[in-house]
Amino acid sequence: MGMEQVWLLPAIPAGIFVVIALFSRILPRGGDWLAILGLITVTVLGVLVLIDFQGSFTGGHFDAHGNNVFAFDWIRVADDFFAIEFSTFVDAIAVTMIVVVSIVALMVMVYSVGYMHGEARYGWYFALLSFFTAAMLTLVVSGNMILLYLAWEGVGLASYLLIGFYWERRTAAEAAKKAFITTRIGDVGLLIGIILLWRATGSFDIQTIIEAARAGAIGETYLTVSMILLFAGAAGKSAQFPLHVWLPDAMEGPTPVSALIHAATMVVAGVYLVARFSPVYAEVLIARDVVLYIGLLTALMAATMGLVESDIKRVLAYSTVSQLGFMFVALGVGSVTAAMFHLFTHAFFKSLLFLGSGSVIHATEQQTVEQLGGLRRKLPLTATTFTIGSLALAGVPIFAGFFSKDEILLETLKGAPLAAYVALAFTAALTALYTTRLVVLTFFGEPRNRHAHEHAHEAPTSMAGPLVLLAALATVAGFVALDGVGKALGFAGGFGELVFLEEGHHFKLDPAVAFGATAASLVAIALGWAYWSGAAERAARARRWAPELHALLVNRYYLDNLYQAAIDRVVLGLARVVAWFDKRIINETGVDGGAQTIGYFGLRLKFLQTGRIPNYALAMAVGLAAIALLAFGTQ
Amino acid sequence: MLTVFLFLPAAGALMVALLPRERSHEAKWVALAFSALAFLTSIAVFLRFDRDAVGYQFVDRFEWIRAGTAGFSIQYVVGVDGLSAALVLLLGLLTVVSVLISWNIEARTKEYFAYLLLLETAVAGVFVSLDLIQFFLFWELELVPMYLLISIWGSGRKEYSAMKFLLYTLAGSAFMLVGFLMLGFAAGTFDIAALTAQPPTEALVPLSLIFWAIMLAFLVKLPVFPVHTWLPDAHTDAPTAVSVMLAGVLLKMGGYGILRIALPILPNEARDFRVALAALAAVSVIYGAIVTLQQKDLKRLIAYSSVSHMGYVLLGVSAMGALGLSGAALQMFTHGAITGLLFVMVGLVYDRTHTREISEMSGLIHRMPLIGTVMLVAGLASLGLPGMAGFVAELTTFLGTLEAHPAATIAGIFGVVLSAGYILWMVERVFHGPPTERWAGLTDATAWWERTAMAALVLVILAVGIYPALLTETIAAGVAPIAQIVGAA
Repeated sequence: MGMEQVWLLPAIPAGIFVVIALFSRILPRGGDWLAILGLITVTVLGVLVLIDFQGSFTGGHFDAHGNNVFAFDWIRVADDFFAIEFSTFVDAIAVTMIVVVSIVALMVMVYSVGYMHGEARYGWYFALLSFFTAAMLTLVVSGNMILLYLAWEGVGLASYLLIGFYWERRTAAEAAKKAFITTRIGDVGLLIGIILLWRATGSFDIQTIIEAARAGAIGETYLTVSMILLFAGAAGKSAQFPLHVWLPDAMEGPTPVSALIHAATMVVAGVYLVARFSPVYAEVLIARDVVLYIGLLTALMAATMGLVESDIKRVLAYSTVSQLGFMFVALGVGSVTAAMFHLFTHAFFKSLLFLGSGSVIHATEQQTVEQLGGLRRKLPLTATTFTIGSLALAGVPIFAGFFSKDEILLETLKGAPLAAYVALAFTAALTALYTTRLVVLTFFGEPRNRHAHEHAHEAPTSMAGPLVLLAALATVAGFVALDGVGKALGFAGGFGELVFLEEGHHFKLDPAVAFGATAASLVAIALGWAYWSGAAERAARARRWAPELHALLVNRYYLDNLYQAAIDRVVLGLARVVAWFDKRIINETGVDGGAQTIGYFGLRLKFLQTGRIPNYALAMAVGLAAIALLAFGTQ
Repeated sequence: MLTVFLFLPAAGALMVALLPRERSHEAKWVALAFSALAFLTSIAVFLRFDRDAVGYQFVDRFEWIRAGTAGFSIQYVVGVDGLSAALVLLLGLLTVVSVLISWNIEARTKEYFAYLLLLETAVAGVFVSLDLIQFFLFWELELVPMYLLISIWGSGRKEYSAMKFLLYTLAGSAFMLVGFLMLGFAAGTFDIAALTAQPPTEALVPLSLIFWAIMLAFLVKLPVFPVHTWLPDAHTDAPTAVSVMLAGVLLKMGGYGILRIALPILPNEARDFRVALAALAAVSVIYGAIVTLQQKDLKRLIAYSSVSHMGYVLLGVSAMGALGLSGAALQMFTHGAITGLLFVMVGLVYDRTHTREISEMSGLIHRMPLIGTVMLVAGLASLGLPGMAGFVAELTTFLGTLEAHPAATIAGIFGVVLSAGYILWMVERVFHGPPTERWAGLTDATAWWERTAMAALVLVILAVGIYPALLTETIAAGVAPIAQIVGAA
């Protein structure tokens, strides 16, 4: 098993999807074991790909063109004129994604055995998870824009179906639709971008496009527009402003799905896409600045919204949006390493937090913090692992998030205006604050819903296992940045070398940045602790202190209202006008009216045809006389 | 072989008509047998079609009116190229599907199936005729069974809709006949291959007038804004099978006519007006999609979406290049399969609910998981999800047109957001949401004929979507010479 056979990775879960989708009724346990078995195979094969990749990697240089393999014609039109070929491509970014996707997907599937136990459509659920995994793995190994777009829409479809998994609930069905349409707006940009790049280079092959762009074969304005359009697709998928509104609503799906799709994997597809094209973004700095500032704005905005949200899953959703913003900031300052590193650690601690929240929901059947509290005694394992995930998210030293977030802050300080750095550092402190709030309100203090609290029970083994494993990863995943650990994994320079090969990049903790960020986080945690663990009326005082601000945040900056109004008033209003025009003007006035006019004249004129000879003779005589008069008159 | 394909359904129609009254319940079996045979013939044509050969294949020819006595000849000549081979296959498939979903027709079954088979012959005649007069005859022949099928077995304002359909097509084809005659007299032949090889350089009236006279008939049939309003009415009031045929193959007669006759015989005029055609296409796509957003009736919604989606055919044509024309031809095929399936599904839902008001339905997927799932598949295909047939056609069209008409193409790409809007809105309203008391008694699709019809179309949609080379190579072979002619003009 080497990089040439990487197509097997998506092919296995794809085949399992077909089997479960067709036969889940006759398979024992709905086929969940088959899906898990498939994922174990994929994880093992993924590790083999990683090992093969290390072998082909020598001394900081990696021959990117040697492994563009397994190409076949998809469409061939007008002979040589135009063909689309499919190919796979493995590089460091792809390998990182393979590791993340297969581990998190496996954890989530095992967890789902406990969480989804007894659900209707249990088999269909596992079929969909397999389908998603297949599409996601296709996305990360595709060497071709058309295959990438295919997989891109494939994960979108899986997301649509899983958000709407409980379609009996109108809110779930609407959230699914909202997610699909919002991301599709971005996808239009992506598709136009793909076509523009094809027109300029004559190719869909990603490496060919990148080389052409670096060689200056594409005009600068043209390239800038194309790259911004690609980013539009990325912003849709990765829930960046102004297309972020679908992700909080996507929490209507089953919680393990939120962990896999809406935290660790699908939503980072946009980050992956921009990272893949990072050499091109380095050529067009305007487009890169767009990435930077959209990411920064999103990170800050989402963090503030997370501060007031009371639904435990939605807090995590805002947090995801915000952390994705961090990754785009890293890409916006040109550091693929920092972005991919944060993607890597975030996948573990955020899926851990989601699975932990799932455990809370499973135990109490409540998911707003007003109904929770004091659960640390009832759910000790969940509380411990959730706290570990929170520490990682808050960027407390030794936990995974500390390393990667620190790296992003450092790169921002180096590559962006100071104001951007300050805003990002402030957002990092806010992150620690809302995380503390969530932990305190859920696990500490007094239970606010006695009934739910009393019936709470710790998660079964199938759910506990993934929590423990992910907690371990959330603790140690950051160490791959250290040179010693990197050497042990086969890369002298650690993660930096793994991901960004041409300029092997060593991590160095900048003491000032690291200390500043840590201090800010700890202060925020202390503040949050003091504030939310106190009496309830003390917490309520803040709302009175700035009610307008609170309302603004709770209502998500009124963006959802704005969009809804735009759809209702502008789009559907226009549709009403056009439909009226179509019905009344075109059809009834134009078409039917035309017919009626002809009918009317027919009705009138038919009286001329009396069938009586004298009438006709009279008309003839008058006519002849008129002609005669005219003839003589003109002479 | 084409002659067999052409007249097999007509022979079937005759046989159905001659069935004794007491055996009229066997009419559907006879119809199924004949349409299945015709389908097998169309498969044979498609498979045995040689993609590397030049010119028309499977040609049958004899003279009808000799040149010696009348000054010109009118002949019977049939043949296919890659373009018509694909459409013949689509026609064969959709007729079988139409017969299957008519299985429960009770009223006047003999006549119904006879007309359905006659319709297949008429449309087949349009797709395989290589003589203008013969083409025109089949074009007109199609009206007879369609008018009767809508006005007798339809619903709602069926007489109004049938008459509207008839008058629209007749008005268009009157101009078309005049155009054909002018062309024929100018060139001294009605043979399409001969006309294509040596297009007339002048005629009684300016060639651009002839171009628009012919185009008018095709644009009405396609249809494009503003001559589209017959389509929603005809669809809404037609029986299910007729809607399938109408959306699936009858609309393609318009696109086919443009590709087979208007472009290659009048290439200079076509090029002169390509911007106008692109504008018309863009308006149709967006206008059709916007009107669709506002539809409350399930069937009308699908009908209006056809106006939008057929706009892509004209968009592909307007680029006048190999890629755009391939996209247009692909879009004809894929829209036929996808919208055919959508109308099948709407028919199955209506058979059970007896209403088409979207607002009255909710949570239908609870009682009808199979119908709901297939409807979702059809809907996703219709909104251009990659991996399904529609995307292949749209992508090829966009790739072919962006260079020539950037604004129209970007408008077209935005059309796909609108189609996601109305399709997903419909799926959510009708199939998702809480199940209601009113629909608790519904049953899923269980009959073999329902399942066969659905499975066949789903299979085609997925096969073309996953491995388009199955279809694209044949279509490209047919389109290449046309592109060469208009490209060189």
